[in-house]
Amino acid sequence: MPNRLELTGITKQFPGVLANDHVSFVVKPGEIHALLGENGAGKSTLVKMIYGIMQPDAGEIRWNGEPVVVANPKAARKLGIGMVFQHFSLFEALTVLENIALGMDAKIPSRELESRIREVMETYGLALDPHRTVATLSVGERQRIEIVRALLLNPQLLIMDEPTSVLTPQEVEQLFTVLRKLAAEGCSILYISHKLHEIKALCDTATILRGGKLVDTCDPKEETSRSMAEKMIGTGLKDIVRAEGRAFGQPKLVVNRLSTGKTGHFDVPVDNVSFTVRAGEILGVAGVAGNGQNALLDALSGELIGDDREAITIDGHGIGLMNTTERRRQGLCAVPEERNGHAAVGDFTLSDNSVLTARDRLGMVMMGLINSGAAKTYTGKVIADFAVKALGPASTAGSLSGGNLQKYIMGREILQKPSVLVVSQPTWGVDAGAAAAIHQALVDLAAAGSAIVVISQDLDELRALCDTLAVINMGRLSAARPVKDFSVEEIGLLMGGVHGSMETA
Amino acid sequence: MMRYRLEKRPEPSKLMLYGTPVAAVVLTMILGCLLFSAIGYNGLRAVQEIFLTPLTNPYKWQDLGIKAAPLIIIGTGLSVAYRANVWNIGAEGQYIIGALAATGVALMTWGMSGWWILPVMAIAGMAAGMAYASIPAFLKTRLNVNEILTSLMLTYASVQLIYYLIRGPWKDPMGIGFPQSRLFSEAARLPNIIPGTIVHLGVPIAVIVALIAWFVMSKTVFGYRMRVVGAAPHAARYGGFSETRTIWLAMLVSGGLAGLAGMLEVAGPFQRMVPGFPTNYGFTAIIVAFLGRLNPLGVIVAGVVLAITFVGGQVAQTTIGLPDEATGIFQAMMLFLLLAGDILVRYRIRRVSPEASVGAA
Repeated sequence: MPNRLELTGITKQFPGVLANDHVSFVVKPGEIHALLGENGAGKSTLVKMIYGIMQPDAGEIRWNGEPVVVANPKAARKLGIGMVFQHFSLFEALTVLENIALGMDAKIPSRELESRIREVMETYGLALDPHRTVATLSVGERQRIEIVRALLLNPQLLIMDEPTSVLTPQEVEQLFTVLRKLAAEGCSILYISHKLHEIKALCDTATILRGGKLVDTCDPKEETSRSMAEKMIGTGLKDIVRAEGRAFGQPKLVVNRLSTGKTGHFDVPVDNVSFTVRAGEILGVAGVAGNGQNALLDALSGELIGDDREAITIDGHGIGLMNTTERRRQGLCAVPEERNGHAAVGDFTLSDNSVLTARDRLGMVMMGLINSGAAKTYTGKVIADFAVKALGPASTAGSLSGGNLQKYIMGREILQKPSVLVVSQPTWGVDAGAAAAIHQALVDLAAAGSAIVVISQDLDELRALCDTLAVINMGRLSAARPVKDFSVEEIGLLMGGVHGSMETA
Repeated sequence: MMRYRLEKRPEPSKLMLYGTPVAAVVLTMILGCLLFSAIGYNGLRAVQEIFLTPLTNPYKWQDLGIKAAPLIIIGTGLSVAYRANVWNIGAEGQYIIGALAATGVALMTWGMSGWWILPVMAIAGMAAGMAYASIPAFLKTRLNVNEILTSLMLTYASVQLIYYLIRGPWKDPMGIGFPQSRLFSEAARLPNIIPGTIVHLGVPIAVIVALIAWFVMSKTVFGYRMRVVGAAPHAARYGGFSETRTIWLAMLVSGGLAGLAGMLEVAGPFQRMVPGFPTNYGFTAIIVAFLGRLNPLGVIVAGVVLAITFVGGQVAQTTIGLPDEATGIFQAMMLFLLLAGDILVRYRIRRVSPEASVGAA
């Protein structure tokens, strides 16, 4: 049997970067093949060429043994290549069925489409009501729509781009069951991820890219997570260094019965949340996306101002009625999940972005005038200390890659030495090396006596980073406990909304 | 077969940012020439009279100055507001109300003399412009009513107020029935700054206003606030800038400056309130703000360009009998081409051949 997909010498040059440098590998029929690499290693470029979004400058793509030119995604789908993107393209106000119908190349009567959707769902155990509005669905369910959409075309190759980053452990298991079933039927799967234990659990082969070059093709079951990570980043992996057995100080950030009103149509408000973070402590807030994390961050940062002064206190001072600027003066800095347009302004220079949150704490304003020299110096320090790949403080935030922008934003807040730092998704889409640097900076900040809250959907991150952990579900927060007291299953159940005996706290 | 594709630039292009306004003006000349030729005028001559005569004839320069002054002042205010994505379309109304308030002061102090009368008129004009702009600001921040509609509609109300006042309480007792106010006293008229011309104090004031606004917008927290709210409202909230307060500030600044322009205009060229006072400076200033790239320094240049079309339009009326509306057509074409060209600031056109399409996503 010919290889399902064979890439030979694929090269792609962008202005200033060689994104893919003679990459060659083979995907066999029914094989689950991992594509592994840091951000910027060239994974996305490579799959975009396979899916026809861009064309290689050199090299050959063979499909079932025949050389092909994949002119565009439509041509790719015609060949039998399906793709599930990391960011879903769904209309929230439409139903599942309507969303799928909109994405189909051929016009199919909606009744026929519905029966085909039901058939696919039945076969692969993808439970989903076609008539539900997307806005009411969890992220995991939304992903199922995208998978169903791809499966309706009976693909011979399914490309999955970072599919598990938003799923609970149980949802990940369900997804793997579907993928294994598909592979057993002969469909090849190209699985892009940087979560090594998932690749070990799921994949038959792993191709590792670094800096656009193919580093190794290996059997993940033979490798350790660490050996693969080291191939991925090219050097030895640094562990988080933390002083063992350190004691926590006095309660620093105390949140008492914090609730927010319903803001948007589809937002989940925070409902009666209480927790305490001591000096030197990192509290993790786990949860599936869309369970009130954004409202919690906004309520803590001051973007949403409540009506109870004492609902949030720092060192005993009630800050519940203060706005973001006043809270920053009190020592509370925050990083929201969305980088572009929320934590940073894409059109502004990095220097101007530093003025956004650091102007008061670092004296960048004198009598209403902005001291651009101070902003530039500080920005230069952030770029240097956090190894941000940028031309300098005058580069626009929008010109940075996602990972670099995140490093800049985290650096901008951490170097202000806040006494309380609240961050959401600190390493979302950031490569392993950068993530390790951000984690280390957070741990160091805590060691210096700050109280830190990390809101994340990445359980590995929370378990590695945090001292205590709580789970948010539908706006309610479980009691915080030392992170080592939780089992993965237990966290997963809490994320799914099974609070059990712990709800009373 | 060649195809063209728009491709996002990694950084907004500086060349296009400043190049497209120039290109818009040049294209307007070319298209205007074709358009007026097609309907039977001498198109080349029309473009020449409208765009070149005001520049080549030194006698017209003073007209340029006094036409550009109100456009620059109002355009500066609008560029501040538009930076913050606050769409004050009713500068014409705030300009009229400002002029009416200044007229009120001039009539109350009629017959008196003193250096203080003009400053009081200026303050009254600005305060009235701000007050009028605060109606859309209030409706927007409290009831989320679109400020484009409310500010625009209030313009028509202000025109009616002129008619009422000059036919009723402010009617000139010596005016033999003409609906106009009496001529202002000497102390309520703007002094000429260049003897023998009609260039009044408003012209240097306009340049100073624009320079101050440039400084404020680029160097102060106020300017930063406007820019960040316009560029990324969510980030502005995160940075501690309340949207409500920004809307108020933007409306008050643009309304106040429109009111100041109204005062300068009524105390300068008009020297009395007449039914023909509204000359659409408030609307033309919208074009000025955009052509000047919402940058007060650019607004100075753009104000002069639009003043050229006004002065040139009058020239063309007398020399080649071009209709009065021709000026409006040229101005509208300029705005249209400018906004259409704006896409090139963030995107570039790439030629792609079907077999090897290139480009980053």
